[in-house]
Amino acid sequence: MILDTMLDRNPYTDAHTEKNSLLLERLNELTDHYYNDCSEYRRFIDVLHNGRTKYDSLDDIPFLPVKIFKQMELKCVPDEDIFKTMTSSGTTGQQVSKIFLDRQTAGMQQKVLTRIVSEYTGNSRMPMIILDCPSVLKNRNMFSARGAGILGFSLFGSKKIYAFTDDMELNIDEIRQFLEKYSGQTIFLFGFTYMIWQYFYKKLKDIGEYLPLENGVMIHGGGWKKLINEAVSKEEFKSGLNEVCGIKSVHDYYGMVEQTGCIYMECECGHLHASVFSDVIIRDMKDFSVCENGKRGAVQVLSSLPWSYPGHSILTEDMGCVLGEDDCPCGRKGKYIEIYGRMKNAEVRGCSDTFEKK
Amino acid sequence: MQINTEELEFLVGNHDILCEMPQISVLPMFSDKIVAFLGALSRELLNDKRSKKFVDVISYAYWIRKASIEKNRDKHIDRKCRIGRGVAFHVAPSNVPVNFAVSMTSSMLAGNITLIRVSNKKFEQVDIICDAMNKLLEDEFNYLAGYICVIRYDHSDIITQELSDICDVRIVWGGNRTIREIRKAVLPPRAIEMTFADRHSIAVIDSDYYLLQDADEVAKGFYTDTYYTDQNACSSPRLVVWTGNKVEEARKLFWSKLGELAVKDYDMKPIQAVDKYTSFCTLGMGHKGMKLVSDDNYVVRIEVDNLYPELMEYKNSGGYFFEYYAGELDDIVPVLTKQCQTVSVLGIDKKDIRDIVYKYGVRGVDRIVLLGQTMGLEFIWDGYKMIENMSRFVYIGEYE
Repeated sequence: MILDTMLDRNPYTDAHTEKNSLLLERLNELTDHYYNDCSEYRRFIDVLHNGRTKYDSLDDIPFLPVKIFKQMELKCVPDEDIFKTMTSSGTTGQQVSKIFLDRQTAGMQQKVLTRIVSEYTGNSRMPMIILDCPSVLKNRNMFSARGAGILGFSLFGSKKIYAFTDDMELNIDEIRQFLEKYSGQTIFLFGFTYMIWQYFYKKLKDIGEYLPLENGVMIHGGGWKKLINEAVSKEEFKSGLNEVCGIKSVHDYYGMVEQTGCIYMECECGHLHASVFSDVIIRDMKDFSVCENGKRGAVQVLSSLPWSYPGHSILTEDMGCVLGEDDCPCGRKGKYIEIYGRMKNAEVRGCSDTFEKK
Repeated sequence: MQINTEELEFLVGNHDILCEMPQISVLPMFSDKIVAFLGALSRELLNDKRSKKFVDVISYAYWIRKASIEKNRDKHIDRKCRIGRGVAFHVAPSNVPVNFAVSMTSSMLAGNITLIRVSNKKFEQVDIICDAMNKLLEDEFNYLAGYICVIRYDHSDIITQELSDICDVRIVWGGNRTIREIRKAVLPPRAIEMTFADRHSIAVIDSDYYLLQDADEVAKGFYTDTYYTDQNACSSPRLVVWTGNKVEEARKLFWSKLGELAVKDYDMKPIQAVDKYTSFCTLGMGHKGMKLVSDDNYVVRIEVDNLYPELMEYKNSGGYFFEYYAGELDDIVPVLTKQCQTVSVLGIDKKDIRDIVYKYGVRGVDRIVLLGQTMGLEFIWDGYKMIENMSRFVYIGEYE
């Protein structure tokens, strides 16, 4: 199976030609599977692409809009094979995405995540500080994006502690004891960008305490929207953390619940990298044509992993651009990208709703 | 009368005027005072340099000029029997800036004391119109100062209830969610309500007739019907129905002309392109008989092979059209539901559409206009004769 061939490879050593041929073969296989095993997907291909399931280029692979997972329950395996349903972390009242996983897909996601992350953290497990509160994992039936992220990354932790109480207070004494116990070892920290800033950095800054995390590796994700509102840049984020805990290795990542596992990790040069398992295509919103590198557009993500739901090619609502391919100074092959965040809601005219909630 | 007005911002009028409103005498329909006031307001607006960049302010100003109002007055043949109902409380929509003034105009002509809540969203058009009114009410038309308040407040059930308590007519511009919220505030026993809910509209074009027209002019008109309001007005066509013998030829020309205009003039946001694509995928994946036709994301067309009421639930805005070829005009009946407001026509007799409405007794279609004129300002809207509905008929055994 082509995926097995891919899993044997290093995530970042294949350049354009090699990578694209591997990925294309896998994605064609997935398109065909979805077509045969998901009636909604079959209609999508029939209506928009004349029933075609084999394509000659990654650019031509049909993409589903990300919101479709909020509006429809899409599965490509029998119901009894679904063992986990992931949901996006929508705020109350909003519709959430529902992603149905079978064991195979979930296993692949975990495996690929490990392959990607260990490129940055090394292979061994490390003492881990989860920069979140324990209650986020309480409901095990419905995995939120936050819970899924924590569970996924927990695989890199040997001993684990939560940094916050359920009231989002920093467990500073407990963290100190933890650091003393494992002094000299690399400490792994994982959390969501905004929460790290709000409840970890700000708290330490406020109380004027310093935590010795010079040997730490931090991975954070979830987006910059709230921090942009507070006018915190990526540089300030890193220098702020360095100031309160001496940490030098801080990596952002881009990823989504619709394509768990295939995350885009930030390298030492500050670029988000596509691995051999996935890719990004930037599309011009005027006509969905492919943008040349350096041009801003909508982010389409490709992933070789989804088997149980038709999620191998998704048009997101994020804006981004491809900065380059195969030539990042960090040495990793593949495309490297920048993400600008969610598209703005249009302020539409016309007599639609006038009710303004405060 | 006591109203807690601390949280109100007055754009026109003040606290005392508001509290006095229930005691002010109503006026006869089309009173000379009001006709004169509107004429003066028209002049003020046309003289304000700021108005020039707002087509909507200019159209409004023309609509209320003296000659135009007098022409409309003469159509209201029973006006001698009609007088205002009392205080008319209007809740204006948030995204059609001039609508508050349109609603106010009917209300004043009906003879009411007019209280309007405008949206918290700031629009220069609202400022222009309120500035002009203030100027007139402070000076030449001071005797009408007690008749108008324009206010803003953050949505509050308490304030809405207090204002509803003093009203005799409540006019709520939708959508449906707003109407639901406002209706939590109960009305006094005698008060009546007019609500303008979410609607959608369709266009019917005869292909043979269209091909004899100036295609550029038709495109301009249709652009105004649709893209000008992000295709999000109640009156914006969401479905284009074709009749006649040269449908293929006509469609090709029609959409290519519209596409040229949209690419040139329409500022499409990325999220609109994604939303249109999402709507189509949802529809195409859930239903049979759809075909996507589009060269780019400006004009997204979906050919459907039959019409059914639920189709319109998949409508979208910003240049998203269903398209259907009708062998018979009667084929459109399934989409003439309660939600259907305007049918705009080209090369089809308006009476033929009205005949269908009558023949089938459908719940929808309040208005049939020529293509390109869906945005026209009218005193008849959503099936209401606006001025009549806001007034009271004093009966002495005669109908006019």
